Amino acid sequence: MSAPILDIRDLHLAFRDIGGYAEVLHGISLSVAPAERVALVGESGSGKSVTARAIMGLVQSRSNVRISGHIAFEGQDMVRLAEAERQRLRGTRMSMIFQDPVSALNPFYRIEDQFHEVVRRSQPSISLEAAREAATRLLLDVSIDDPQRVLSSFPFQLSGGMCQRVMIAMALINSPSLLIADEPGTALDVTVQDQTLDLMRRLVERKQAAVLFISHNLGVVREFSDRLYIIYRGRVVETGPTTAIFEDPRHPYTRALIAAVPRITRATLPDLDESRANFSEPCVVHELRSA
Amino acid sequence: MSDALLRIRGLAKTYRLGKVAVDAVRGVDFELSAGECLAVVGESGSGKSTIANMILGIVQPTAGSIEFGGETLTARRTSRQRRRIQLVQQNPLSALNPSRRVEASLRLALDVHAIGKRSERRARVLELLDEVGLDASLLRRSPATLSGGQRQRVGIARARACGSDLIVLDEPTSALDVIVQARILRLLNRLREERGLTYLFISHDLAVVRAVADRVIVMQHGRIVETGDIATMFEQPAHAYTRSLLAASPVVTAEEVAIRERLRAAASHA
Repeated sequence: MSAPILDIRDLHLAFRDIGGYAEVLHGISLSVAPAERVALVGESGSGKSVTARAIMGLVQSRSNVRISGHIAFEGQDMVRLAEAERQRLRGTRMSMIFQDPVSALNPFYRIEDQFHEVVRRSQPSISLEAAREAATRLLLDVSIDDPQRVLSSFPFQLSGGMCQRVMIAMALINSPSLLIADEPGTALDVTVQDQTLDLMRRLVERKQAAVLFISHNLGVVREFSDRLYIIYRGRVVETGPTTAIFEDPRHPYTRALIAAVPRITRATLPDLDESRANFSEPCVVHELRSA
Repeated sequence: MSDALLRIRGLAKTYRLGKVAVDAVRGVDFELSAGECLAVVGESGSGKSTIANMILGIVQPTAGSIEFGGETLTARRTSRQRRRIQLVQQNPLSALNPSRRVEASLRLALDVHAIGKRSERRARVLELLDEVGLDASLLRRSPATLSGGQRQRVGIARARACGSDLIVLDEPTSALDVIVQARILRLLNRLREERGLTYLFISHDLAVVRAVADRVIVMQHGRIVETGDIATMFEQPAHAYTRSLLAASPVVTAEEVAIRERLRAAASHA
């Protein structure tokens, strides 16, 4: 295996709270190889989204955040890198797509202008026409048949599924080596979500981009990812190849996550214990540490 | 069938936006028996939420009739008619008033419909919380301090507060994590069994529907394209659209993956 493009070692992250710091990541380690598709799966409050934001360098400069450990992205340490340097990597070497595509796009600008802004991050002198051309090719790749109409539209004139495809095309237009997908499509219908994931898979394969896919639903990531990390209360509780984890889940939390996905083959629901001490307590309380 | 609790005939709704007319629902017929759970499935824009809103009296139909408990429901409904049909929404955070504590939200439902003596209402609120598996310690909490699952439980308790027979559940778990979703679905099944409730369950996710419903209606472009009992629908989906919905469901077991592959292969040959 070639050297990972993303290598996280012992990442701790805490938010300042009344009376001290609440630690939300208790030493996360994970790695992503070039062009590999990895999923980070856990429920609300498990720390999966904050991990993604730390990789993107979006939390480091906040005054209420304390962070330690290493996030090596293409050999650079995202924890200690200057904000200006991190800013240069975002949208060019790494990019992100979000859960709700409609609110992730700027409602005041046409899609073509938003593409132009993104392309200018890697080619500052590119004209709107040239950016439009590049965008047209990518929109065709995500099965948008009339890219000219879409490019001249405002986000509110497009459906949710259409906006999600625009987001995917925009995230990949600068050929990043890493794409972070934070619950893409959970705001959409199952059919649209399924199509979107299929288009995303084809495009990242062609672009040779690695993907870190963040989700709470193991059913959604099963087909998409090569490897899984299961995260619970700020700790990775299980990791391995997707097929191996589905065949033989070891951690009780992983088993609960699998059991909780409704089946199309039976009507019964799992009896998930609700006791407070249980691993699957949904209301996560983070451990408080003194400052 | 004479014992239908809800009877929908030729129901249609056309929204007019200036010169543009959108036919959201184009003539729908179905019945719902007391104690039954009927699921309405379809993608965004298929008309499923419009049907729910017409049953609740939030939206007035362009054509057709809604009969509930032997009475025809019109735009002007009696307190008793409104009380008997209640709604649980998709996003419990926006469904609950953020400035009202849990107790006040539940009390309001009792006060509005003048249910029980004033002195008995507090005890009734506690009963309602207990019924949905919540602790009395949550009474003084505001919605913002509750987890997603707890909020949805409060939403269910509120729908139960005024002694409703029919609960319209509009995507009640699609904003929740899978584990919380499984618990809420179990709670809904238990309540229906214990209290003899009737559900109209709206969803875009067929796998979720399988866990709660007796019968399913599949909608596309404002029309019913398929209807049947739950097991038949999953084992022999007749309509191409139903098959595509089934093939798009997130799956975890090898058996499900095989079904999905078969459906996809069949769709690409068609």
